[in-house]
Amino acid sequence: MSNVVVLDNGGGLIKAGQGGERDPAVVIPNCLYRPLTSKKFLHPTTTTEEDLTSAAIRRPIDRGYLINPDLQRDIWSHLFNSLLHVSPSSSSLLLTEPLFSLPSIQRSTDELIFEDFGFNSLFVADSPSLVHLYESSRRPDSLLSEAQCSLVVDCGFSFTHVAPVFQNCTLNYGVKRIDLGGKALTNYLKELVSYRSINVMDETFLMDDVKEKLCFVSLDVETDLQIARKQGKDNLFRCTYVLPDGVTHKKGYVKDPEAAQRHLRASPSAAMEPNKEAYQLETIAKTEERKRVDLTKNEFDLMNERFLVPEMIFQPADLGMNEAGLAECIVRAVNACHPYLRPVLYQSIILTGGSSLFPRFAERLQKDLRPLVPHEYQVKITTQNDPILDVWRGGSLLASSPNFESTCVTKAEYEEHGSARCRRRFFH
Amino acid sequence: MDDDNSNALRRMSTRTRKVAPKMAAALGSSDNRSQAALARLEALENDNAGIEAVEMNDDDEASLDEDDQEIGFIQSLMDIEAHTHRYTSIEISFLQSLIDIEAHTRRYTSSGIPFSTRFMILSTYMQKRSKGTKRKTRQAKALENARKAPRSFLELLHEANLESLPPHVPSYLRAAVGPPSSTSRRHFCSVCGFSAKYTCVTCGMRFCSCRCQNIHNDTRCMKFVA
Repeated sequence: MSNVVVLDNGGGLIKAGQGGERDPAVVIPNCLYRPLTSKKFLHPTTTTEEDLTSAAIRRPIDRGYLINPDLQRDIWSHLFNSLLHVSPSSSSLLLTEPLFSLPSIQRSTDELIFEDFGFNSLFVADSPSLVHLYESSRRPDSLLSEAQCSLVVDCGFSFTHVAPVFQNCTLNYGVKRIDLGGKALTNYLKELVSYRSINVMDETFLMDDVKEKLCFVSLDVETDLQIARKQGKDNLFRCTYVLPDGVTHKKGYVKDPEAAQRHLRASPSAAMEPNKEAYQLETIAKTEERKRVDLTKNEFDLMNERFLVPEMIFQPADLGMNEAGLAECIVRAVNACHPYLRPVLYQSIILTGGSSLFPRFAERLQKDLRPLVPHEYQVKITTQNDPILDVWRGGSLLASSPNFESTCVTKAEYEEHGSARCRRRFFH
Repeated sequence: MDDDNSNALRRMSTRTRKVAPKMAAALGSSDNRSQAALARLEALENDNAGIEAVEMNDDDEASLDEDDQEIGFIQSLMDIEAHTHRYTSIEISFLQSLIDIEAHTRRYTSSGIPFSTRFMILSTYMQKRSKGTKRKTRQAKALENARKAPRSFLELLHEANLESLPPHVPSYLRAAVGPPSSTSRRHFCSVCGFSAKYTCVTCGMRFCSCRCQNIHNDTRCMKFVA
């Protein structure tokens, strides 16, 4: 039996490794980039030594779908040859594909896999069912594995999908999509910072870092806006990000990480009293330090941007998008399913995808969702330890199942029947 | 942006045609604000925001043919605006997509070459111009580019013709979540981010105070597109 390569080909990150292992061997950005020092587009490496300032980026995936097969071929061949060290002709491939992929895109993907790389066989999976598989194997006695039914909320890089899964099959008539993901959020943050302080429109990698480190989901936007208006140390949200100078440090960093975390432990009234003096001394020292280094470094402050950016997933209408927010999206997805499934679906919501990593994402979702759900149903949201890798882990489980080989489309079958005929096997 | 507008174009002299229709269309059309909003949303999906805008502002406008020249005009207009006002490149990319829309509406009005190839010609032309490669004929370029250039997802989507499927078949279009149930919308100040009470009469963006209004007027109030 040949080995299986499991490839979760996301718009932001490629997760790849051998089937059966616990973690993917390689996680790289799915793009080529060109730093200022280079004329050619380079492959991203896992060691992050190089200077990514103002790097131009080319991505093979637009709005979640593979539109540039040539570029993808480039990236994959680098991945298979130099990073994973597998020979495609002697292995099978388990590939994740976004829901509702277009026939033309499926065809070009098949061409890429069988004709350019020559894989032995191919299995195409969709990510919600893999997440469900992983989650139900992780906790075999939970409701979702007993009922074989869950609602996967996947906040990814290109879009957000809410997909009901039943018996390891995604119910495609119930899937709902919001066209907002991590990429749009990063771009929105870029726009805000560029207008308000420093032009960072070209700094995609940098702003990704800022977003991951500093953004969080607000539980109560009105109150938080009031707090963000305050001056001095009452303002729990103000924090400073230092831009790389290209000499001593190549990466930006948060100037005062503790201060950046203040809002998380501050329910404003409680718990601060006993060590107040020490706290004040600390803050004085910090403010002095802050004043001292100002002139030598480029930096910018973030305040309400920190929670207004992730807020867009919950209320895209604020951005001018004519789309419902995540909570309403979940309700619509559930309502599209059979009434018998609804109580179970509400109780087994799985939250996954990189954009769900914002602090307090699940709490906010719970808070938004509860008023919309009939009161006799329970709402239970399951978060995961590592939401970026879950799809891959599910794929790895699937690839190590005993009858995986028999469900694949082989190269011979592809050559005999063509792409469209073979694709019917995967119920897409 | 509709038929009578393009007829009005035909009657003008070539010189005014270079300048006026853009302005007239921009000023006259009522749904420009919604177009601007759409363009902003489109810009959120871009990979490299400000980079093309810098590369395209080269010289040698002389060799441009007619349509390119008009767009070249907007390019240079953008250039000037970007220098005088402090435009962030998001606005430049917005203008970029305005050009895009312009080219799109033209597809139905003017020439026989379809929009996609025309725009591909245009974009690759802009890129190649700086390198100074030998100029080919339009058809040759169109053919070459049609083979090479990857098409955007929206083009592929259009080509897949999902509208023709019967309504019970789930597809990309039907999976979209749809408009929100409540029409109320919070508004945030475009300058400082706090909740905004007031609307700019010129361009429709929001601001929260006099101070923010002044900043807005000085920097990003897009008079000539809205």
